[in-house]
Amino acid sequence: MSQCELVLLGFFVISLISGVTVGLVHSRKLTRALTLFYVLVHVGFTLCCWVHRGETVFGYFTFDPLGVLLLSVLSLLTITTVYHGFIHVRDAEPKVYSIYHAALIGLVASMSGAYLANGMTTVWIFVEATTLAVAALIYHDRTKLALEATWKYVFVCSLGIALAYLGILFLGFTIHDARLLHLSFDSIAEIARMANPLYLKIAFVFVVVGYSTKMGLFPMHTVTVDAHTVAPPPISAFISTTLMNVGFLAIFRIYALFSATSILPFMNHVLILSGTLSLLVAAGYMLKARHNKRMLAYSSLENMGIVAIGLGIGGIGYYAAILHVVLHSLTKAGLFYQIGQSHKVMGTYELEQSGNYMNLYPAGATALLLGFLCITAIPPSGMFISELYLMKSMVVSGNWILLTVTSLLLCFVIYALLTRVLHIVYSPPREKPIHEPMKVNPLQTLTQYFLFGLVVFICFAQPAPFRELIESIVNTLPK
Amino acid sequence: MNVLIVIVFAITLIYLSMTERFPIYAGLIGFQGILLFALSFLELDTITLATLLFVAIETLIFKVIIVPFMLFRIINRTGETKVHAKALPGFYSLLFVSAGLLLSIVVSFSMKTTPENMIYFIVAFFAVYTGLFMIISHRKIFSHLVGFLVIENAVLLLSLAIGSEIPMLINIGILLDIFVSVLILGIFMMRLKQHTDELTLLKDE
Repeated sequence: MSQCELVLLGFFVISLISGVTVGLVHSRKLTRALTLFYVLVHVGFTLCCWVHRGETVFGYFTFDPLGVLLLSVLSLLTITTVYHGFIHVRDAEPKVYSIYHAALIGLVASMSGAYLANGMTTVWIFVEATTLAVAALIYHDRTKLALEATWKYVFVCSLGIALAYLGILFLGFTIHDARLLHLSFDSIAEIARMANPLYLKIAFVFVVVGYSTKMGLFPMHTVTVDAHTVAPPPISAFISTTLMNVGFLAIFRIYALFSATSILPFMNHVLILSGTLSLLVAAGYMLKARHNKRMLAYSSLENMGIVAIGLGIGGIGYYAAILHVVLHSLTKAGLFYQIGQSHKVMGTYELEQSGNYMNLYPAGATALLLGFLCITAIPPSGMFISELYLMKSMVVSGNWILLTVTSLLLCFVIYALLTRVLHIVYSPPREKPIHEPMKVNPLQTLTQYFLFGLVVFICFAQPAPFRELIESIVNTLPK
Repeated sequence: MNVLIVIVFAITLIYLSMTERFPIYAGLIGFQGILLFALSFLELDTITLATLLFVAIETLIFKVIIVPFMLFRIINRTGETKVHAKALPGFYSLLFVSAGLLLSIVVSFSMKTTPENMIYFIVAFFAVYTGLFMIISHRKIFSHLVGFLVIENAVLLLSLAIGSEIPMLINIGILLDIFVSVLILGIFMMRLKQHTDELTLLKDE
C-alpha cells in the first residue's frame, strides 16, 4: 500500500472511529478531546494532500488542484467552526452535545470525500452522506422550526440528489465499455467527446438542477435558505460555504468534463441563466428580508449566482469564479459567526428587534461592518478583485446586457445589505427583543477578524502557490 | 414481456396522478415495487447475478414490503386518508399528466436510441414528471412523499435499462438512497404530525 493510500484510508478510519465514539459516549471531555484531535488530523490530512497533489488513490479518489483547494478552505473553516461550536453548544445536554459533534465530524469527513472523489458516483455517494450528517445538525434545537427546516432540507436534497443521479445514469448510457464502469472523470472526458450531444445536455441539466440543492443555486435554493434560518450559526457557516462548495464542485466537474464537446455553449447558457435568476431572486428577497440569518442566506444565493455567471462567461471569468468561491467561503463563515454573536448580544435574529449593536458590543459591530465591506466587494475586500475580473470577462466577451443586468442587481443587493447592517449597528431597535441579551467575550470575535483579514490580504497580494493552484484548475478548461 | 411490464408501470403512474385516496397511493407504490422486481428478474441475461440479487432485495424487501408498510402505518397513525380539499381535481391532473406523457415521448424519440431503451426512457421520464407534478400540485406532505418515491422508482427503472453498465458503486449509492427514504418516512413523518401536515412556518414575510 502506498503512502497516499495509507493516509487516505487512515483519515476515513479515524473519521469513522471518532464520529462513532463521540456519538455513543456522551462525555463532554471526551467529545471535546476527540473533536480537537480530529481537527488536527484533518489539517494534517490536508497538508498530505498538498504534498501529493495530482496523485490518484485507489482509483476512486484524486488529489487534484480543485479538490485540494476546497479541502484547504474546509480545513481552515473546520478549526473556526469547531471553536464556535464549542461555545455555542456548551450549555447543551451531554447527549445533544455529543450528537452535534459526531454529526459535525461526519459532515467534515463526507465533504472531504466529495472534494477528493474521482468519479461521479463517488461524488454522489459523499453528497448523499453530507445530507444525512447535516440533517442532524439542522435539527439541533429540536424546535418546530428546526423540524420543518430539517424535513424540507432532507426531502428536497434527496429529490435533488435523485435528479443528479438520473443525470449520472444518462452518462452511463453513453458509456458501453466495461473498463469505464466506475465513471471516473478521466474516462468520462474521453467518452464525452464521442457521445450523443443530446444525452450530454440532458445529463448536464439533471446534474445542475440536482446539485443546485447543495450549491444553493436557483431553482433549488429555497431549502438552504430555510436551513440557515434555524441551524446553529457555526453550522450555517458550514452550509453556506464548504457545503455549497460541494455542490459547486459537482457541477464544475461535469462542466469541465463536457467542456471539450459541442455542448459547451449550451452549458454556458444554462449556467448564465441560472446565475442571473439566482441574483434576481436574491436581490428581491434581500430587499424584503426581516431575519438577519435569512438575509445572509440570500446573500449566499447571490454569490453563488455570481460564481455560476463567471463559469458561464468563461475566459478570465473562470479564474474569477474560483477565486470568488474561496473568498466567499471565508467572508460568509465570518459573517455567520458574527450574526451568532449578535444574537447573543441583542437576543434576536429579527431585524425589527435588532439595533444599537455598536453601543452593546463594539468589537462585534466593527467585525460586522468589516464583513459587510468584504461581502459587498467594496475595496479593500478581495472579493472586489473577483467581481472586477467577472465584469472584465463580460466586457471582453461583449456581454453588455448581462453586464448591465448584473450590475443593477448587485446595486440592489448592496442597498439591501447596507440599510440592514447600518440599522443593526447604529439605529435603536424598533421592537423589544423576546430573549434576554447576554455578554460576549471580545476575544471570541478574533476568528472573524482573522478571516476578514485574509480576504483583505487577497485584495493586495495573492500568494504564488494559491494563484498557481487556481491557474492549474483554470487550465483544464477551454480558453 | 418487459415492454408490457413497463407499460403497466406507466398506467400505475396515470392512476396515481388521478386518485385522491392515500391507501391507494400506498398500494400502487407497492405494486410498482412488484413490477420493478419482475423487470429486474427478466433482465437476468443482461445483468450480473450480484446486481440482480441486490435489485431483488431492494425491490421485494424494500419497495414491496417495507415502504408500503410504513406508508399504511403513517396513514393509520395520522388519520389522513385523502388529499387536500383544494388539490387539483382529478380531471385537470389527467390533462397535465397526459401532456407530460406526450412530452416524454417527444424527448425520448429525439434521443435516437434502440426501441427497447426507448420505452424505458419514455416511462422513466414520465415517472419523473409525475413525481414532480405530485410534489408541486399537492399540498399535504404525504403526497410529496409519494411523489418522491415515484421519482426513486424512475431512477431504478432507468438503472435497469442500463443493465450491465451499472457499477456496484451505484448500487452502494442506491443503498444510501434507501437509507434516506427510510429516514424521511420513519422519523420525520411521525414527528411532523405532532405539529402540522402542511409546512408553512418558514417563509419571508
